[in-house]
Amino acid sequence: MNYQKLLNKLKDILSAKRQAQLEKYSSLKKVLKSLRAEQKKMEMELAGDIDDETRREITSKLKVISKQRKKGLKVLQELKKERDDER
Amino acid sequence: MFVLLAYGFAVSVEFKTITAGVAIFLFGMLSLEEGFKTFTAGTLEKILRASTDKLWKSMTFGVLSTTVMQSSSLVSVITISFLSAGLLDLASGIGIIFGANLGTTTGAWLVAGFGLKVKLSSYAMPLLVFGIILVFQNAKSLKGAGYVLAGVGFLFLGIHYMKEGFDTFGQGIDLAEYSMTGYPGVLVFAGLGIAATVIMQSSHATLVLILAALAAQQISYENALALAIGSNVGTTVTAILGALGASANGKRLALAHLIFNVVTGAIAVSGIYQLMEAVGWISNQLGIGPQNYTLQLAVFHTLFNLLGIIVMLPLLRALVRLLEKVIVADEIEIERPMYLSGASGDIRDAAIEATRKETIRLYDLAAGVIIDGLSIRRDVLESDEKIKRVVKKSTDIIDEDIDELYEKKLKALYGAIVEYVIASRGGYSKGRMKEELNTIRQAGQHVIEAVKGVKHLKKNLTKFMKSDNQVVKKEYDRLRRQIITVLRDIETARNAQGPSRSVLPLDQVKLDIEEKTREFSHGLDKLIRKERIDVQIATSLMNDISYCREICWDLVEAGSVLFSAYDLEEKTALRSVALGEDDIIEIMEDSKTEAAQ
Repeated sequence: MNYQKLLNKLKDILSAKRQAQLEKYSSLKKVLKSLRAEQKKMEMELAGDIDDETRREITSKLKVISKQRKKGLKVLQELKKERDDER
Repeated sequence: MFVLLAYGFAVSVEFKTITAGVAIFLFGMLSLEEGFKTFTAGTLEKILRASTDKLWKSMTFGVLSTTVMQSSSLVSVITISFLSAGLLDLASGIGIIFGANLGTTTGAWLVAGFGLKVKLSSYAMPLLVFGIILVFQNAKSLKGAGYVLAGVGFLFLGIHYMKEGFDTFGQGIDLAEYSMTGYPGVLVFAGLGIAATVIMQSSHATLVLILAALAAQQISYENALALAIGSNVGTTVTAILGALGASANGKRLALAHLIFNVVTGAIAVSGIYQLMEAVGWISNQLGIGPQNYTLQLAVFHTLFNLLGIIVMLPLLRALVRLLEKVIVADEIEIERPMYLSGASGDIRDAAIEATRKETIRLYDLAAGVIIDGLSIRRDVLESDEKIKRVVKKSTDIIDEDIDELYEKKLKALYGAIVEYVIASRGGYSKGRMKEELNTIRQAGQHVIEAVKGVKHLKKNLTKFMKSDNQVVKKEYDRLRRQIITVLRDIETARNAQGPSRSVLPLDQVKLDIEEKTREFSHGLDKLIRKERIDVQIATSLMNDISYCREICWDLVEAGSVLFSAYDLEEKTALRSVALGEDDIIEIMEDSKTEAAQ
């Protein structure tokens, strides 16, 4: 870890605002991770041998999850940018 | 009863006047209650709450209002109507009654000291005129004020007729005939005091009668005191009369009034000689001459009422419990918050959790009202039975008064939540707490909007549920199914445990709502084209499809906030990912494009 990275880390720890941003960031990352896992699981189910009704249901769910992830990733990027700007 | 009344009217003119008086009086009570209902969750409620939230405050309120109005009966009937409208709780009401009993003794001082007699009944006519003019106004507050004024006017008019009817009986009372000494005399005169006050409908009038008889030496001082005791008990009859059409709490208050005055009367009768000695001593200290019986009577009146308060105050809680046991509520009671009162608005987590729990209560109550509104049995959310089957079986209309349930249960509770959130935000709370409390408050607003939607939907639903037109009936059944499906989906999300507990599954419900709405609209177009329903019904159905959609969205929006993760950070993260109306429409458009390709 270089000097700049260490300094940023220290700033993160000392600033309450940054701490809050960091918490927000990591919570969102956690949510996105679980969404990704769910998406993968559904994609695998879809690849298997299933009836039309189930296929329709899973496809619909997949569309929702993919939209949620898209939205979440956008927010995550904004948070990251906000953090980088302050540094 | 009707036969008895008809017989009474035929044989006695006085009976007719008295019963008409009772009827006008009761109508006045109804009008008063109607008027005070307008002010529920408004300024009057706030003022009343602030001035009666502690026992000493409600007692002071009782003393002051009775002193100003010079009628404990009027204060007690108004308090009963406050209670019936849900503006007060029972303990505060009893506090006011205790205070009113002390306040009414100022009448004795005024009559004895200054010969002053306040006659409120002369105001009946102007009050009625002003009241009725206001009732015809469009503004809700003016209308409410009109009902209150007209109510008081009718109360006075009713009392006036009752007095007129009883006049002939009153003229026959010659107190000197009953002059007796010792305890039998005290008891007889106390009974006479009760009778005279019931007949004259005014303890003040009895007091004037006592003072006149005392001055003319028709009765002894001891008998006069007994009359005053009786008059104190007799005055409760107006409150009992006023409670006839009141809510359970109103009836409880009237009974509390009776118990208090009977107990006070019993204490005064049994200790009358000791009290006489005490009156003598106090009068001496106040510089009242031993022969000035009128002022001594005022001292006595104040003293025994004060004694009654001292004895009854420690028993207040027990009295409330007893009354709640004796008079059981069978009507819809005003819903009071359960979680907000105990939590401090300034402690972040406590405030958020209290508001969330209270809003969940609001949601549960609303869900019940919605299910009733759709004429479906309440256990539909817990049962595993297929919704289609449940709806098909639910053919009987459940005739619950949604408006009353909405006013008394939901609006009152939501009002308390909003008040709490505003108060919390005004404290030390900042930033995240403010944001979270506001989000929960908005969830409450969604719940309220959903119920309002069902109120609208119910009008046509009940009309078409019994219709011979099977096509329309089927369409309305589909709308019922849709709302119940959403309620069940929310329950599933609510009961999910562990890591799967999140608000995100409800996004799927949002997509389902939009898809179903589109399906309903397409189906309706088809029905119109095939001329299976006429245009008028189609217009109603079109509006109701839109109501159904809004109800479902409101419920899901509320559920997403209320049944979300516990952790504040996680909640915020989930909300930033949750889909809105625009996102759902985008998904649908994308699917449409995909299908076209």
